[in-house]
Amino acid sequence: MYKAIIIGGSAGSFQVVARILNALNSDFPVPVLLILHRLKHVRSGFVEALSIKSSIPVREPDDKDYIRPGFAWLAPSNYHLFVELGNRFALSTEPQVNHSRPSIDLSFFSAAKAYRQDLAGIILSGANRDGAGGLKMVGDMGGTTIVQDPNECQVPVMPLESMKITKVQHVYNTEQIIRFFKKIQGNAQI
Amino acid sequence: MEREVSDSDFRLFVKTVRQYSKYDFSDYSDKSLKRMVGKVIADKKTDINRLVRDISNYSDYLESIINKVTVNTTELFRDPSVWKFLRKKVLPGLKTWSTINIWHAGCSTGQEVYSMLILLNEAGLFDRARVIATDINSEVLKVARSGKYRYRFNKGYLENFDLVVGRSRDKSTGAANVPYSRYLDVDEERDIISIKPFLLEKPVFKKHDLVAGEVSYPGKFDLIICRNVVIYFNHSLQNRIFEMFCNNLHPGGILVIGSHETIASPVSDRFIRTGHAYKKPGIF
Repeated sequence: MYKAIIIGGSAGSFQVVARILNALNSDFPVPVLLILHRLKHVRSGFVEALSIKSSIPVREPDDKDYIRPGFAWLAPSNYHLFVELGNRFALSTEPQVNHSRPSIDLSFFSAAKAYRQDLAGIILSGANRDGAGGLKMVGDMGGTTIVQDPNECQVPVMPLESMKITKVQHVYNTEQIIRFFKKIQGNAQI
Repeated sequence: MEREVSDSDFRLFVKTVRQYSKYDFSDYSDKSLKRMVGKVIADKKTDINRLVRDISNYSDYLESIINKVTVNTTELFRDPSVWKFLRKKVLPGLKTWSTINIWHAGCSTGQEVYSMLILLNEAGLFDRARVIATDINSEVLKVARSGKYRYRFNKGYLENFDLVVGRSRDKSTGAANVPYSRYLDVDEERDIISIKPFLLEKPVFKKHDLVAGEVSYPGKFDLIICRNVVIYFNHSLQNRIFEMFCNNLHPGGILVIGSHETIASPVSDRFIRTGHAYKKPGIF
């Protein structure tokens, strides 16, 4: 049973994330962490736009919030998001990493260390290298690694970079990613 | 890329720093600091054993390492909506006060100190303000005092200025917009944004470690601004700091924290929250 699922995405990932969140049951049993690159000042509309499609509430965590299931936790723009000891989030305004804040790598590193084999990491469409190192770490710590099928991605660079540096366990299109979530939902009900 | 140090190396670093200086990182939130320590070790091409040996032998080396691991970024009018809120909802309430005592706690390179001074000037409160701005990091304070920032990397400052101040009617001239040139000089060639001298003269920048407690100041504060600083502390240290802020505010004084920070109970009971501002209840 997973303790968290963490998703990293950039250009071309919004629709995919929206479809995944839309397909979940409202009692989805595992916290979903969303680390998405977005424009710094387009802040307000993003949560609302995702919420409209999502079956579970989308929240930007405050610093030291508990990481609870039942929510999609979206990394606030212009902050890095970490998973801390004690199952809490921590935010930081350290300099950008790979021109990104939030940095997908940093969030994936901290989640991988906190949850180890109980984490699934998913890298979606995107135009840069952020997230590749993070996904590798998820795999190295015993977690499940998934990338969106590059053939389906609007911008395939992020999944391809991930596949270059680590042996990704699953290459899924959006439908298959949704099936992965449904299976978690189903397992929880047994 | 991933440079976080191990738990045991991190504990050794914290212990050594505590032993050989007045700094105590024991109650810091570990994620960021672990990464920063890892980064220092990589940048200096050293290892944890040499690092702790050197910081225990040379106090100025220790100080330089502290400056490296406590650097964080800030912007002019970071989160424009917060500054709009301060301008419209908080500053009008200060107009009846003869002096406005302001503490920027953890001011880093000073951008928010100058943001506040710009708002105070627009509100006609500049002359009444007394401003102290503190940080643990002596290097960022040098930048803060200089009021000079890179231009190309920080073009967003001007956009933020427009969102918060620029797009409103200029009270002094009646013009439709407030020009940023009143407060900032932009030198594109030399890649510098400079804060105007009359703003630079106002704040007293001072080295101070929040973890060590109160800052020395004659009297209490009317406004404490501490944004995106306590995110580096663990939950219990956060509570202690918020409590200390409350004790250092006048009744009716206001604490402003980061847009993704919250004050947890029971300390939150000592404030009345409106938007991004936490007010210490007044006497009446």
